[in-house]
Amino acid sequence: MRKLKVAVYKFSSCDGCQLQFLNLEDELLQLSDLIEFALFYEARRFVGSGPYDVAFVEGSISTPHEVELIKKVREESKVLVAIGACATSGGIQALRNWADAEEYKRYVYPRPEWVEVLRYAEPPSKYVKVDYEIRGCPVSKDQLLSFVLQLLKGKTPPTLPVDSVCVECKRRGNVCVLVAKGIPCLGPVTMGGCGALCPSYGRGCYGCYGPMIDPKPDALNARFKELNIKPKEIQLLFKQFTNWSKEFRKVVEEYE
Amino acid sequence: MWVSLTGLYVGRVDSLRVLFDELRRSGYFVVGYRVVDGVLRLGELSSFDELAQGVEDVQGPGRYSLISGSFYRHGPDSPKKFLYPPYLTLFKVSSGWDVVVPVREVRRLAFFGLKPCDLASIKVLDRVLLGVDDYYESLRKNMVLIVENCTTPGNTCFCSTMNTGPRARDSFDLAYTRLGDKLVLEAGSVLGLKLLNVLEVEPIDDATYERFEATMRNASEKARAGFELNGLPEELELRIESKVYEKVTEKCLGCANCNMVCPTCFCFDVLDVPLIDGSAERVRVWDGCLNFTYGQVAGGHFRPDLWARYRHFVLHKFAYWVKQFGTFGCVGCGRCITWCPTGIDLRETVRSVLRGGKSG
Ligand code: SF4
Ligand code: SF4
Ligand code: SF4
Ligand code: SF4
Ligand code: SF4
Repeated sequence: MRKLKVAVYKFSSCDGCQLQFLNLEDELLQLSDLIEFALFYEARRFVGSGPYDVAFVEGSISTPHEVELIKKVREESKVLVAIGACATSGGIQALRNWADAEEYKRYVYPRPEWVEVLRYAEPPSKYVKVDYEIRGCPVSKDQLLSFVLQLLKGKTPPTLPVDSVCVECKRRGNVCVLVAKGIPCLGPVTMGGCGALCPSYGRGCYGCYGPMIDPKPDALNARFKELNIKPKEIQLLFKQFTNWSKEFRKVVEEYE
Repeated sequence: MWVSLTGLYVGRVDSLRVLFDELRRSGYFVVGYRVVDGVLRLGELSSFDELAQGVEDVQGPGRYSLISGSFYRHGPDSPKKFLYPPYLTLFKVSSGWDVVVPVREVRRLAFFGLKPCDLASIKVLDRVLLGVDDYYESLRKNMVLIVENCTTPGNTCFCSTMNTGPRARDSFDLAYTRLGDKLVLEAGSVLGLKLLNVLEVEPIDDATYERFEATMRNASEKARAGFELNGLPEELELRIESKVYEKVTEKCLGCANCNMVCPTCFCFDVLDVPLIDGSAERVRVWDGCLNFTYGQVAGGHFRPDLWARYRHFVLHKFAYWVKQFGTFGCVGCGRCITWCPTGIDLRETVRSVLRGGKSG
């Protein structure tokens, strides 16, 4: 079997998602028998030229240079997979979308005019066609692996969960922190895939996988109000890793 | 049908320990409620002392807590967790395409202190799964059911309406009721009779009997939902166009917690999990009709609107189930009310639909 030729790209991001490939410590050797990391700056110096079978793209697009680069990546890749909160909704960088980045620049850099940024940090899907999304901040290494193995088996589209975190939370046998402890939890509006990681440790879900399929953030927002959670706290709940997703943004805006 | 082999006996509350030890001695895995992190959880107990004591669950729409008290109902887990587990590997396929069906050890389960509604949920699952699900059947055939009748129903309980409690009438091995430090017992099977023989009991006296009847009558009054079962499936189907479903669903998140905690929801999804060594597993997982993907099929979707998914849940429980399996799908345990993150109250939905006209 011909190896799958893979490229791993990074845009505005923290490297945490691509690192998940390397965190597959037990499987990495076997995996490299199945796929060739032709381009993976974080892992190897060698750079193999395109075209690639699959490009995994981490990060949001926040500079004019990145707009050009993502277009090039799209052209040289058969399948483009956005990985992580940054590449699927803008991620943490998108927090600057709520403020004035020009002002930040003036505070932070001695020569702000050298820093060229777009008004908004946004996911690659804003500029190019994205074939698949793997959510999370960071993505789960198990989901990455499952995705690759499904592709290799010819299962297209590869399936990843899209219903709520609650489903995984209950299957896993957790007690609901929202109902039993009154801890605000974004699980009911957030896409599963993490195995309900945070509620498994007694914390509310931070929503790092972003909105699930057909989410109802307004209803959860209303419930949080009923539970007398402070407006600022509700806003900050939705204004986290996936604040710039269309659905969560609406709730954040209500409190701006 | 009222199956009591023995009529009522009276003993002391201490004899529960004797009963527990007897079950363990006979090789049963005893499953009962214990307190874990402030919540009642169903789990295997290795000693009687692990059984929850001195606590009471306070349940309401969308909330749950434990306080100290003398009587408790239940927590989020139901027997489904054991009989129809959330993840079950159906088979494995090796890298050479050999199909390997896992050989499972058949555990002899004894449910200890199960509530009547949960006993009823097993009866419902029997109709759905016996003869269909080998795993369920293997456990079911080797199981003991020790039921505790509910002297104090909780705020979300409506077993009286569903005719499933607060006193169990049949299908148990042994049922007991706490009355102070007295215990009223009744056997419902030959095995139950044998267990009863191990305990120090005597036929119930008149005074205790009166007290028992009064207590259960009282309890029964408390566990009502405000609607009647008679003609319910027809009345609901007649109002299938009711706008109530859309109204209620404004609060709904589509999170499917209701399906997951419901002791009778049996819907599942099948996942094929590829592994790095080239093998794969086929796994059955809990699914539910409130999930968006549940109604998704090649080329379309049965219920893209959440209100239609919620309506399906309600109508399956109270109407379609009756046609499908000859019993209601709801046993009135109230879990879907308590564990709904937004506190949607199933009783209120049914009452509102019934109050409205055919399209109201
Ligand atoms: S803890 Fe959060 S994710 Fe888990 S069931 Fe409750 S609301 Fe859902
Ligand atoms: S619904 Fe009835 S049987 Fe079930 S716990 Fe409540 S009172 Fe007991
Ligand atoms: S009724 Fe409640 S538990 Fe069920 S899907 Fe809606 S919000 Fe979730
Ligand atoms: S529908 Fe609700 S009340 Fe009825 S059995 Fe299921 S969880 Fe219990
Ligand atoms: S109510 Fe929904 S999840 Fe439950 S058994 Fe019926 S269709 Fe399945």
